[in-house]
Amino acid sequence: MKRNFLSISVAGAVMALSSLTVLSAGSVASASTLTSVKFVYDFPGPDMELIPVVVAAREGFFKKNGLKVSVEFPPSTSSTTQLLTTGSGDIGFITTSDMAVAVEAKAPILSVANYSMTNNWGLFAKPGSMLTLASLKGKKIFSWGDTWTNAMIPFVLKKAHLKASDVTIVTGANDTPLLMNGTIDFTTSTTNYSIPGITEATKSAPVGIVGSAAGVPNVPVWVYAVTHSYANQHGKNVKRFLAAIKAATIWASAHRAKAVADFIAAYPKSGYSKFYSTKGWDLTVPLLTNKAGKYFVQTNAQWTTLATALKGINLIKSIPAPSTYYTNKFIP
Amino acid sequence: MTKKKLLVNIFGPILSVVVLISIWQSIVTWGHVASYIAPKPFDAVRSVTSNWSTLAPLTWWTIKETVYGYLAGALLGAFLGVILSKIPLMQRVLYPLLILTQAIPIIALAPPLVMILGFGVMPKVVIVAWIVFFPVTVSVLDGLNHVDKDLLTLAKVFGANPLRRFVVLEMPAAVTQLFSGLKIGATYAVTGAIIGELAASSGSSLALYQRSASGSLDAAGVYGTTLIMTAIGIVWFLLVVGVEFLATPWQRRSTARRWRRGAKPVLPNN
Repeated sequence: MKRNFLSISVAGAVMALSSLTVLSAGSVASASTLTSVKFVYDFPGPDMELIPVVVAAREGFFKKNGLKVSVEFPPSTSSTTQLLTTGSGDIGFITTSDMAVAVEAKAPILSVANYSMTNNWGLFAKPGSMLTLASLKGKKIFSWGDTWTNAMIPFVLKKAHLKASDVTIVTGANDTPLLMNGTIDFTTSTTNYSIPGITEATKSAPVGIVGSAAGVPNVPVWVYAVTHSYANQHGKNVKRFLAAIKAATIWASAHRAKAVADFIAAYPKSGYSKFYSTKGWDLTVPLLTNKAGKYFVQTNAQWTTLATALKGINLIKSIPAPSTYYTNKFIP
Repeated sequence: MTKKKLLVNIFGPILSVVVLISIWQSIVTWGHVASYIAPKPFDAVRSVTSNWSTLAPLTWWTIKETVYGYLAGALLGAFLGVILSKIPLMQRVLYPLLILTQAIPIIALAPPLVMILGFGVMPKVVIVAWIVFFPVTVSVLDGLNHVDKDLLTLAKVFGANPLRRFVVLEMPAAVTQLFSGLKIGATYAVTGAIIGELAASSGSSLALYQRSASGSLDAAGVYGTTLIMTAIGIVWFLLVVGVEFLATPWQRRSTARRWRRGAKPVLPNN
C-alpha cells in the first residue's frame, strides 16, 4: 500500500513537473514568437492621438497579431521621417505634408494608411473673441513652426486676401498662455488639440475657423508610414500592425473612457490631464473614418490635392504620381 | 615669436579644419549617406551662399542678439563680481542665488520671458545675458579675492585710498580672470541667442530657418545654418581674445613698450 502510494506520489510529482515544464516552455515560445516593431510617433512626447497604439498594446491587440511594439518619441516634430530612413524606427506616424516633402527629397518613405480622414486644422481665438478671415489683418498669429503649419498658413492668407506682411507670425513653445494674456491674437492647431487645451484653461470653448472655411485643402493630416525596404521585407508586420491598430481603434472608439484610462496608465507623466485626453480623444474619433465609415483608406485624390496645394505655395517643386506617396495593400 | 611658431599658430588650425572637412566629405561620399540625412560639406556651404539674400538679415539679427546680450551679461557680471568682492555680506547672501540661476534650465526660462517681454529682441538678449553673466561674475570675484594682500597693505601704507588701490592694483590683477570668464561667455552667447529664437520669434529667424529646413529634409540647409551659427561664435570668441591681447600686454613682456615709456634714447657724450 505504502509502496503504491509512494509510486503514485512520485509519478504524480513527475507528471506535475513535466506539465509545468511544458507550460512554461510553451509560454516562453509564444513570447519569443512575437515580432518586435519600433513605432515612432510624430511628437517628442505622448498625447491622446497615441491611444490606438496604447490600447493595442494594453488590450492585447498587438499580441493577438503576433507583435511586440515599442513606442519611440523623436527629438523634434520633424525627425520621424529621418528616424525611419536610418532604421531607428520601423513604422512612423507623420503628417501628410512631411510625407510630401520626404518624397520630394527622395526619401524612400511610403504611406500605408491614413490616421485621420479630414483636415481639422485651423485658427483659434479666445472664447468670446471675434474671429473672421477679415479680422486677421495686423494681428499676431501663433505658429508651432512645424512643416504642416508652415504649409497651411499661406492658404489661410490667400483666402483672406492677405500678404505675409499683413500679419505677424510668431513662433514659440506654448500657445495657450500667450493667447490668454493677449500676447498673441490667434493660434493655429487642429481641433482635437486646440479645443481641449483652451477649454481646460478658460472653461469655455474657443472660437475657431477650421478646414475649408480657413481656406486649407481638405486632406488628411496624419498617416502611418514605413520605408519602401521595410514594406518589401516586412510587409507582413505592416499588415499585422494595421490589423491590430484597426481593432484597437474600433475598441477605443466604443470604450472611450477605458481607452483614456489606458493612455493615462501607460503615460502617467504625459503632462496632459484626464479632461484634455478625454476631450481630445472624443474630438479625434469622428476624424478616423471616411464617409463610408472605413478606416485607413487613402485615395489618389487626397494625395493629388495635397501635392498640388503644396506646389502652389512652393513647398514642393513637382507633383509625382499619387502612387509614389501611398499604398493601401496593407490595410486589413 | 619665431617664424616657425607663427606658421604653426596660423596654419595649424587651418590644417585641422581641412582635415575635419575631408573626413566629413569621405564619410558622406564613401558611406553613401543620403543627402537628406547629411550633406557634403560643400553642399552645406552652397546652401548658405545660394540663400544668402534670405539668410543675411536673419544672421544679422542673431549677431545683434548675441552682441547685445553678451555686453549686458558681461557688464552685469563684472559689476556683480566687484560688489560681491567688496561687500562680503552680499556675497554670502547672493552667491547661492546666483548659482540657483544657473541651475534653472534655459529652455524652462524662455516661455515666461516671452510672456513678460514679448516676441522681440529682448527675450533673446535676456537669455544671452543670463548665460554670460555667471562665468564673468565668478571670474571677477575670484580675481579680486586673490589679489596679493601684501601689495594691498603696502599701497595702504603709502597712502593709497580704496579707489586708487582698486584701480591701480585690484582691477589689473583681476583682468586675467575677467577675460577667462568673458571667453567662456563668448562661446555660449550664440547658443543663448538660438535658444531664445526657438522659444520666441516674430517672423523668421536663423533658428526657425534651420527648423524649417529640418522639416523639409533640407540637410544642406540645416548644416549650412549650423556653420553660420558656429562662425558667429568663433568670430565673437576671437574678438574677445583680440581685446584681451590689447588689454593685457604684461602677459607677453615685462617692460612697457618704448612709446608708452615716453623716453627718448639717451646718447652718450662723445
